[in-house]
Amino acid sequence: MDIKKLLFVTKFNDLCFDALQSILTLRKASLNHVVFVNVIQREKVAMHRGLGYQKIEEIRLRETANIRFIDWAENLFEQGLEVGVYIVVGNLVTQVFEATRKEGADLIVIGRSQKHFLDQLYSGSNIIELIRRTAVPVFVYKPMPDKIDFLDKPFQRPLLAIDWSAASLRAEEYLRPLTGVVQQVHVIHVVQEKDLKSDSAMSIQKFRKDTRKKLERICDQMAGVGIDARAHVYIGETVKEIERAARECQATMIVMGSSSKANWVQRWLGSVPQAIAEKSDFPALIVPPVMAPETK
Amino acid sequence: MTKKVLVVDDDPDVRLFSTAVIEENGFNPIEAENGEEGMQLLKLEKPDLVILDVLMPRESGVRMFRQIKTNPKFAKIPVIILSGITKKSFLRSQKALTEFGGAEVPEPENYLEKPVEPEELAAAIKSALS
Repeated sequence: MDIKKLLFVTKFNDLCFDALQSILTLRKASLNHVVFVNVIQREKVAMHRGLGYQKIEEIRLRETANIRFIDWAENLFEQGLEVGVYIVVGNLVTQVFEATRKEGADLIVIGRSQKHFLDQLYSGSNIIELIRRTAVPVFVYKPMPDKIDFLDKPFQRPLLAIDWSAASLRAEEYLRPLTGVVQQVHVIHVVQEKDLKSDSAMSIQKFRKDTRKKLERICDQMAGVGIDARAHVYIGETVKEIERAARECQATMIVMGSSSKANWVQRWLGSVPQAIAEKSDFPALIVPPVMAPETK
Repeated sequence: MTKKVLVVDDDPDVRLFSTAVIEENGFNPIEAENGEEGMQLLKLEKPDLVILDVLMPRESGVRMFRQIKTNPKFAKIPVIILSGITKKSFLRSQKALTEFGGAEVPEPENYLEKPVEPEELAAAIKSALS
């Protein structure tokens, strides 16, 4: 599962060239191709009464995006990278999904806007829809708070949240080839308090020990490819504890498998990956299970 | 026999413009949307000239140019680069790929930065095919 080609999806206000630069550390693994994607929302150029389809506005938006991409592409071409570009009108999720399929990308990079609630809600829901529809891992880039300067290399020290699902185990497999990019991985499993409702301290300790042992096995696999890995067991509410662990371990991002919940449950009740992708301060890499519903 | 000119560009407007110039000057245009499709047509149609964009989906002009110039079968086909990417960046990209272990490639026969006037393109085509 090498990351050779990534799709960099930008609206320009959420994800700029500095974000891309920080991800280019993936070149040390196998990244050699970056595809820029800008989706012009249909509403911006749609038919208006008395005006018709706003072709001139479409041209203006396309050329604005093109000028930016040319500048970025020149920089990447000069570094010996292969670069592609899509500037398209339509629905963000559909167009990104389509570009991913055409390009055979290994990773989708998308930003989370922090402008205001509605914008966040809009881009947030796009992210989750994208994660739901694709078999390709999605990296949700977040603007870095100034005081946390170690976040400028997001792949350096990831926190891998394991829930033993196929997707979370695939997330571990996804990190393993990134030797040289990933320096240290903190592998965490969050135990729910309800799982510890036992009548003896011994059985609780045994539960913890077993969980820890399983995590250590993952750490050993990481160590086998030269990545230092530490196991941690946290107890409590999953999202809060993952976030807490990320802070305590000074993680540079959170990596996890996408939810196996049914679509309608995920939409209405939310999920842990959704909460991490949308609300966490940390960049998040969400890895879907191998067989995503619409990519096969 | 009418000479064939392969136009490789993802922008349909540019392809339309280029093919019109090619036809007006008595040549036969062939179109491709990206480098991958361009290489397929190159092998199939054996054009006399390639007009190549740089920034395209699937396969860029940087890679396609390399494939043309490093393949003895196609190396002699003249290539005009028609792109928004500057010539300096294009040449630097080729240099970087050579440094990463790729073969050395010559400069393209002509380099035109977009936008280009029809007369300028026509002159470049005629010069490359002469």
